[in-house]
Amino acid sequence: MPSVEYRGMNLVIPDNDSEWREHFKLARGHKLMLRACKSCDLMRYPPSHGCPYCGALEWSLREVSGRGHIYSYEIVAHAIQPGFKEWTPYAVVLVELDEQRGKPTEHEALRIIANLVTSDLRPEPEANVAIGKRVRVTFQDLSEDFALPQFTLTDEPPEGRVWKFPG
Amino acid sequence: MGLKDKYCIVGVGETEYSRHSGRSTRAMAVDAIKKAMADAGLGKDGVDGMMSYQGGDSTPANWVSPDLGLRLNFYMDVMGGGSSTEALVGLAIGAIEAGMCHTVALFRSMNGYSDVRIGGTGSRAAQPVRGLDLAQVPFGMRSAGQSFAPTFMRHMYEYGTTSAQVAHVRVAHSKHASQNPKALQKERVTVDDVLNSRWIVKPLHLLDCCLETDNATALIVTSAERARDLRQKPVYIMGVAGRVNKPRTDFHWATGPISRVAGHYAKDIVFGQAGIKPEDVDITGSYDAFTFTTMLQLEEYGFCKKGEGGQYVSSGIIELGGRRPNNTSGSHLCEGYTHGMSMVIENTRQLRGTVDDYCPGWAEGKHSYDYSPKQCRQVKDAKITMNLGWAMPATGSALILHN
Repeated sequence: MPSVEYRGMNLVIPDNDSEWREHFKLARGHKLMLRACKSCDLMRYPPSHGCPYCGALEWSLREVSGRGHIYSYEIVAHAIQPGFKEWTPYAVVLVELDEQRGKPTEHEALRIIANLVTSDLRPEPEANVAIGKRVRVTFQDLSEDFALPQFTLTDEPPEGRVWKFPG
Repeated sequence: MGLKDKYCIVGVGETEYSRHSGRSTRAMAVDAIKKAMADAGLGKDGVDGMMSYQGGDSTPANWVSPDLGLRLNFYMDVMGGGSSTEALVGLAIGAIEAGMCHTVALFRSMNGYSDVRIGGTGSRAAQPVRGLDLAQVPFGMRSAGQSFAPTFMRHMYEYGTTSAQVAHVRVAHSKHASQNPKALQKERVTVDDVLNSRWIVKPLHLLDCCLETDNATALIVTSAERARDLRQKPVYIMGVAGRVNKPRTDFHWATGPISRVAGHYAKDIVFGQAGIKPEDVDITGSYDAFTFTTMLQLEEYGFCKKGEGGQYVSSGIIELGGRRPNNTSGSHLCEGYTHGMSMVIENTRQLRGTVDDYCPGWAEGKHSYDYSPKQCRQVKDAKITMNLGWAMPATGSALILHN
């Protein structure tokens, strides 16, 4: 049963966790792979048993580029988990991936929660965090079979309007 | 609904709002229900159904009922936090309608500060992270504020909503709490007080967040027929919507606009049953786990246009003396956090005309309507109230009452 200690948390994937069993292991191989429905061909995240768009149960794994932009975010100043206190202030970002934007409806997309980090896996300084900025995936290795997909800024032109919380 | 005006809230009660209850959720639940039964004029044969909601932090109905001398024909405890109150009112109607029982007591009891802290610290932070929590918690996104903040941020991005506008929710609710002897924080605050309070998770300041509290709340639902013989003026249920969802509640971020909340789907259900429009509502009770949750729901239910919530909450409309006061007890931001039931209790008392403010004759419905500090919080001639319950951006409930 993969289990890893990270920032004082015990992250556990029991053997019968049929949703999560492959995700963080594939991330350890530095691949961001999502479940794609064999019926309607749409990918989804987080990993789920059924397809949220058509209800079909058959799926296969598909690698995505890990490129996208910041769709929304927050800056945590007061950490709840003790292990995050030395990380504050840190950004939690909602990243919209490039693949499958606007499908199946204009409002839908593949979105994923992660931290915005520097190349050495420290929190990206708050001044650099903004909606619209382009990002790509990076992998934070936690053990031999477990890595967290995280995101870093790229120097690509932004996606639409760049907006930073004024406070 | 076909059941409009056929059911009533006939009794309400709560324990002290504190941060040091020093006793069990069982003891508090018993006290709250006992008060609600006394309020309704119901004896131990008068209640035969009981429901509660909790998140593994409370006592089930079948441990509470014996302390009240009750033998129940129906009980059920559900998992759930905010927005459960309104949903359970609907389920109580269903249980009575099905002939399973005739009168249902609902309760929520929690040591939300001294034991299982709602903010996520304390015993809960030490639990293993597994299942769907793996999508957020490993990234330092655990508390309610952390889980909602990207919704609030995106609303600011899309509509130009400002921190100062939203701070007016705290200002209004603190004004209301200054008229409430029960409130944990009775001091009135200003917009600057909110903006100068420390950051919790941007865009939330400390004063954008509610007060973790130890408390139990209870209310009693029965048929309009039985209500007529009871102690209080009946408060009639016009419409209810329970735990209505946005798509993808497992990960609502996948479906936009993420600045939209579940009221978008709930409003047609609840207004349709009640046969009224937002402008007919005299008092709102919009769940204030955070200043933003109040604002988002008020606009989503149509009290203003979508995107104009910032202007609406900063216009004075939501304050006592305004056109449509919101959360007249000071509620979660100032009175104390109860997972929503206190706001239904407050609206029930408003409709009876017997809000427990500082007016010496409040119990007889004698009010001064002077809204200066430590005076009155009764809204004059309130006829229709609406509760907007929030669990998260993707889940909410609503309840419309009249007298």
